[in-house]
Amino acid sequence: MIKSLKASFTECSGRERTVELLDTEGYRELLGPFDGVESPHLEKQGIVPQSDDGVIVAKGTINGHLAVAISIEGKFQGGGIGEVSGAKIAGTLERVLKDCEDGRKTIPVLIYDTGGVRLQEANYGLLSIAEISAAIVALRRHVPVIGVIPGKIGAFGGMSITAGLCSAVIMTKEGRLGLNGPEVIEQEAGIREFDSEDRQLIWGTIGGEQRTATGFADLLIEDDMEAVKEAVTSVINGDKTFPQRTEQEKRYNNFLRLVQPNHRLSFEDVRELWKQSENDSVVAKRTSHGTLSNGRGLIWFNKLRGTAEEIGDLPSVRVADSSIGASKVRYIAVVPDGENYFPRARNGELGLLEGWSIAKHIREAIEEDRDGEKRAIIAIVDVPSQAYGYHEELLGIHQACAAAVDAYASARLAGHPVISFIPGNAISGAFLSHGMQSNRIIALNDPGVNVHVMSKQSAARITQRSLEELEIASKKVPAMAYDVNSFEKLGALYSLVDGIEADAPENKDKDLIYQEISRAVDDVRDRNVNDLSNRLTSDLAIEGGRAASIFVREKLFAQWK
Amino acid sequence: MESFLFTHPATKSIDRPAHVGVVGSGDLEIILEPNDQATVEVSIRTHVTGHKATWEAVIKRFFEQHDIAANVKINDFGATPGMVAMRLAQAVEVSSYD
Repeated sequence: MIKSLKASFTECSGRERTVELLDTEGYRELLGPFDGVESPHLEKQGIVPQSDDGVIVAKGTINGHLAVAISIEGKFQGGGIGEVSGAKIAGTLERVLKDCEDGRKTIPVLIYDTGGVRLQEANYGLLSIAEISAAIVALRRHVPVIGVIPGKIGAFGGMSITAGLCSAVIMTKEGRLGLNGPEVIEQEAGIREFDSEDRQLIWGTIGGEQRTATGFADLLIEDDMEAVKEAVTSVINGDKTFPQRTEQEKRYNNFLRLVQPNHRLSFEDVRELWKQSENDSVVAKRTSHGTLSNGRGLIWFNKLRGTAEEIGDLPSVRVADSSIGASKVRYIAVVPDGENYFPRARNGELGLLEGWSIAKHIREAIEEDRDGEKRAIIAIVDVPSQAYGYHEELLGIHQACAAAVDAYASARLAGHPVISFIPGNAISGAFLSHGMQSNRIIALNDPGVNVHVMSKQSAARITQRSLEELEIASKKVPAMAYDVNSFEKLGALYSLVDGIEADAPENKDKDLIYQEISRAVDDVRDRNVNDLSNRLTSDLAIEGGRAASIFVREKLFAQWK
Repeated sequence: MESFLFTHPATKSIDRPAHVGVVGSGDLEIILEPNDQATVEVSIRTHVTGHKATWEAVIKRFFEQHDIAANVKINDFGATPGMVAMRLAQAVEVSSYD
């Protein structure tokens, strides 16, 4: 039959996309609009909620294969991930994982149309995205996890990291995939770095065609319903398989070595460099004389490691093996490097090299400990943000973040106790990549400890509110606040440690932190649970910190059958 | 944000619930569900403030023309009165469609 007409997939609503993708027979939506599970946080801020909170979950089959489609409605609040929408996605993936473990192989397909975390629910989005990421990494051991980015909004923010974790990423030309949205880069790094109104620049940097040509997406398809279903089916059948990007540390590091960030790379340059990166290059160790940092990350890294030798390969990613009591530990800290190869990552931001370097040092530890004692991995978290820049997006910072996320999650799944220790800032994509995949999170109760999603200036710009309005809103919704005491209310912290000299720790402070880490490591080993479920079962979470996250999962599982 | 509740008498029942639209720019979401009372009860949440009279008029006119007993939930993100009437008509059509 000759196909003469195309039917656009991109033009469909989020719900229509699931209807088109799944077979008609057996199609069933879960937690649909008539269930009315909407966000409890929006009305308080004067925003009209939607009855499905902008995420559509549908069960059924795709050409006969058991499948679940999770589709984000980009028209509602920019497809932002809030507590309810996030719990719908994470809960579905967690339930699919259980089915897979019970031998009922079900293929999850994520249809992206999202700007990332919904800023009005800030840290709820962050927690949800960490849970979504954890579930994707666990699921990939059973089934391919397929991401489709049809376009209109695309996949941004933390959700671009989850796309970077998928087994296969399918895009149309209209689709976009990047960590930091154009407006945010412009706000944070200036219009000379990135002009958010230059459409050619945007699509040339992060559009589907470029992403497929430079190693960040697998299949470029026409914007056509049939084409989407065909591409998804080809991945399910195993006709098309792709190397897991997050495990290709060598290739991506080769790729980044070829870059001279002092001059602005063109879109074409990157395609050429990606091809060249197939050939191995000799990687020289990077050194720096510009470690001007006396930030908390480095201070605590040095304090905790004591005399243990540093084994990192980057001035900005510090790694050392040591022990606390009888437990072997590996410390990892991201610190400022004033001579960072990528100028946009010189203030301690988590950048391209940092993400891949973290991944490398964790995977190394997993490999070395395969048959022995699984050492604890301690992430020392003091990160101001991810790096915002043109080169960062062009060279796939979301993928570098995904590599780190995947490595931490894989270590956790392999049985390494993964503990985060937060003496400073834990912010946004940087925190997602370095700290959020841990079994346990320990933070200092100190005004210098902040947890949030985006600087106030950027958050105000994106949500079209004034800074004053933002302050008022954050008083009503603790997830929007920046201080660690508000974050504690969400129930994700294992402990909040009082009375520590955060800027200049003495030996007694160090000993107290050793104790906390030991306690956390023992707790992980005793309970022997490798997922992130403890964040939902803590007292604070149950008492209200994560009420909607828990409720959504209960309702969803009840409808699952 | 503003919310209102309007109630009008109604006699005919509808077959099935309907859901149309999205809470996106210039659009609205409507959830229409059968009830067993002789009224149509419309609860509205709207992003745009100060247009209660317009809403009242649009709803009154529509349900005078469409006599259905139902609970109607409207989540509005700045739809024009024309858009509101079209979405309502769509919802009624969906609720009677096999």
